Amino acid sequence: MKQDTAAKTMVMASTIFFGLALTMGLLTALKFVVPTVGEIEYLSLPRVRMLHTNINLFGWLLQANMGVLFWILPRILHTKLFSEKLGVAMAVVYNIALLCGFASIMLGNVKNVEYGEIPAPFDYLIALSWVMFVINVFGTVAIRKVKYLYVTVWYTLGAVIWTTFVYITGNMLSQMPMVAGVNQANLIWFYVHNTIGLIFTPLGVAIAYYLIPKQLDTPIYSHKLSMIGFWVISFVYVWTGAHHMIHGPVSHWLQTVAIIFSFSLIIPVMAVITNFFGTFAAAPRGTRMQGPIPKLLMMGTVYYVFTCLQGPFQAIRAVNEITSKTDWVVGHAHMALFGTFSFYAMAGIYYVVPKLAGRKLYSDKLGDLQFWIMTIASVPFFAVLWISGVIQGFAWLNPENTFVDTLAALKHAHWMRFGTGGLIYIAYFLFLYNVLQTFFGKYHKEPAETAAAE
Amino acid sequence: MKIDVEHSLLWTAVAAFILFAIGAVLTTVVPPMVDKTLWASEYPVHEYTEQELRGIEVYKSQGCVYCHTQQIRKLASDQRRYGWRLVEAPASESWEYVNDKNHFLGTKRTGPDLARVGGKYSSEWHWAHFKNPRDMGEKFPDRKGIYERASIMPSFAYLSDEEIKDLTAYLQTLGRNKNWRVDENGQPLNDYEL
Repeated sequence: MKQDTAAKTMVMASTIFFGLALTMGLLTALKFVVPTVGEIEYLSLPRVRMLHTNINLFGWLLQANMGVLFWILPRILHTKLFSEKLGVAMAVVYNIALLCGFASIMLGNVKNVEYGEIPAPFDYLIALSWVMFVINVFGTVAIRKVKYLYVTVWYTLGAVIWTTFVYITGNMLSQMPMVAGVNQANLIWFYVHNTIGLIFTPLGVAIAYYLIPKQLDTPIYSHKLSMIGFWVISFVYVWTGAHHMIHGPVSHWLQTVAIIFSFSLIIPVMAVITNFFGTFAAAPRGTRMQGPIPKLLMMGTVYYVFTCLQGPFQAIRAVNEITSKTDWVVGHAHMALFGTFSFYAMAGIYYVVPKLAGRKLYSDKLGDLQFWIMTIASVPFFAVLWISGVIQGFAWLNPENTFVDTLAALKHAHWMRFGTGGLIYIAYFLFLYNVLQTFFGKYHKEPAETAAAE
Repeated sequence: MKIDVEHSLLWTAVAAFILFAIGAVLTTVVPPMVDKTLWASEYPVHEYTEQELRGIEVYKSQGCVYCHTQQIRKLASDQRRYGWRLVEAPASESWEYVNDKNHFLGTKRTGPDLARVGGKYSSEWHWAHFKNPRDMGEKFPDRKGIYERASIMPSFAYLSDEEIKDLTAYLQTLGRNKNWRVDENGQPLNDYEL
């Protein structure tokens, strides 16, 4: 089978799913301001919300990361992908499982697992395709032609090992008949938080660890910081699940443990961020921000700083009293998954698509424009959610306010979210157009200079 | 033996797994062993009837949990807001949930918390509210158009009458494990089926 078919398939599929996920997001935002839009069962607010999160997490982000890594891993390890056929088979099984899963969600056949609503048997199919991915990753590392494992490989190995257990715990073990109530909630929040922390963080960081030095043509700032970042995150991230239940009905000590470890997350994140910024700082000034790729990586890293300072902050009991269960959390989640990891994934796609197509990116200018629209829209998008979250949190403190009073106060914030979300949606089409043109467009076939060097 | 992690697939994988496993075991397997109230209760806990179990399925399939939490946190603001008349709602405790095969603790309150909603509203009220949420509750007559009614809950008029009845039966059980609503003589109220 032709080399990189698997990477190409997954990158293409993920780019399309991204659009679908954003459509669902925009529809959710619209329903928050005009609740009577699209009043049919299959498009009711909660269903659209479940589709938005699931398509984003599994259709877009995970698939984009896996596709980009299918291209990156063989290059770092100076070998071919362990099995191209297995990769393509995995892509097919995975996308079939996803499509069936999304259809089930639309029809209301769901699990009570946030981020894991896709019901059996399709979640088992996703687990199966994940195992196929794991085999391919381990196989590629095993047949490598270089001795040394680069940071990207550590993070990928970590992610595939951790995620296997996280996914099984959240989707299968939590549904076992003896698991109920708060115990089930604890397992599910273990899954929910570690989906972000042990799938998207390591895969996103893995991609950035490859792209930043490669794109800037500068060695990574500090090897020691890479080590600290990786080994500390593999120890501390997994403890934090219970911070979703602060003040709630779960054991007090477990909440305290989760809060302490939420704080210790500052260590690995700052190590990674110092490393990334250090590399940017050491790169040649004139060219380091040319084109969309370094811009996306830079902005993603900036958002990573803020997300990971915000996380420990909102885990403090006193702050949590105000921010928890409000729009604030939605803003936080969007900054992590859209601001940081979707930006990294888009940078990854902009990097590999020209290589896959064997020619330069269709338009750097269009990429820049997309980057600027997304960035300028995302700052108020997140901020307006934090502001409305704080308004909501304080309004709830006063028993004189009825619940609808506190909701009515957020109408303008919700309009703002719809508007800025709409801008992000428009920018997505520039991204899609750029990717499609690079693959299929008719323009001067000039092979990418770097393709020869690979 | 020299352990050279960076050159070994095996060592990187094993070390990453062990570091992860410590936290994973201590936060998922250990809590139910240490704290029995996560899965067992010393007090009587309501056993769901068949109708209520059907209601739980509707609740899950309609995704109610994405806007409504089911936990009164140990905070004065939560207990006052979700109380009844002048009685504060007691904070939710883990033993109350032991019969919930599907937990709905939730993370987001776009709508009010439902942990103690059982018995607060009549089943007729719920019926009308599911048909069109904007017919019920307060209005803001000084505002115009979509601003007049603040509720953004979707209408569930597409559910069958049976489904609405099942769902309401389930809602009316919420919070009754603590029997916190009492009449003027201090006797627990039993008006859930109304």
